[in-house]
Amino acid sequence: MIEITYDVFARKNRGDQLSHIGYVDALDDETAKVHAWTTYSEENWFEMCVVQRSRIIPVNRDDGPFARAQGGAA
Amino acid sequence: MSDTINAEELTDAGREALQRLILSLADSKRLMGIRYSDWVLGSPSIETGVATSSMTQDEWGHARLLYAMLKHLNIDPVPVEHDRSAEAYANLSVLDEPFDDWAALVAAMVIVDGALSAALREFSAGTFEPARLRVPKMLAEEKFHVSLGVAWYRRLAAASDEAQSLLRAATDRQLPATLAWLGADDAASRELVELGVMPPGATLTTAFKDSVRDILADGGVDVDADFDGAMPSSDWDSARGRASGQPDADSVDRARGSKNRALLVE
Repeated sequence: MIEITYDVFARKNRGDQLSHIGYVDALDDETAKVHAWTTYSEENWFEMCVVQRSRIIPVNRDDGPFARAQGGAA
Repeated sequence: MSDTINAEELTDAGREALQRLILSLADSKRLMGIRYSDWVLGSPSIETGVATSSMTQDEWGHARLLYAMLKHLNIDPVPVEHDRSAEAYANLSVLDEPFDDWAALVAAMVIVDGALSAALREFSAGTFEPARLRVPKMLAEEKFHVSLGVAWYRRLAAASDEAQSLLRAATDRQLPATLAWLGADDAASRELVELGVMPPGATLTTAFKDSVRDILADGGVDVDADFDGAMPSSDWDSARGRASGQPDADSVDRARGSKNRALLVE
């Protein structure tokens, strides 16, 4: 089964910093939203969003998980 | 007709029809939750298992809210939830037995959970005020169920021959009985229409078909086709608003919370 990795970002309150809180694997954008909301349900989040890991562009490292998703150095 | 009905002033027939509707929805929600819970540890991925766990909680929460509406009919919901025998359950008959495979649960997400939402949407727009107040939040939570069901239905419909075969078999089993449940046009259903609590079964069925037409077409199913068993038949149990039969004993034990209650310290 081919799944896509999505990184999950959320903030507890309006005005808080948007923080990286984890990741989920999902079939597509819609199921990523479901998985993120149900997996990271420990808080009453003000806002949550997901982004495909492969869409994140690393700036200063080529050895992190985001760089690997881009096909960078392992 | 008033904008809302006064449950205290209902005729016996109106009261029984409303009670049947609430029980049918509440019991179906409770059984749907059990069917989701069956797959918490057997889903294709950890994330999907977590999602089914969350959906289990949603369904049980919805059931609890629906049972509580019986108070408006001066019925104590506690014995209704915990003391009834299997033959008294008014759930949609498709939920009587556990689902054998993941494809069957996916079909149920789309068809059964979808039909329940179609019915609840109309219930929340009707003249029974407690439904207007409580059902919208349920429907908001159901959006996630729809998302997961649609994505998985499409995935399986485009997967291996085996997956497609299981999905089609489950759809063929579940769809006619669900249509029969939605489209019921018996005396109690007509009473609810008269009271403005629910629309006619044909309206419900049309709304449901509109909501699943495209997704079922991806599985090669024409929701507008004529299905054997898609109309209430001679085995229709008008007292419960469902086909004959009852949930399996294990599921009823779980629905009633029998094991939990045995541990209660008085």
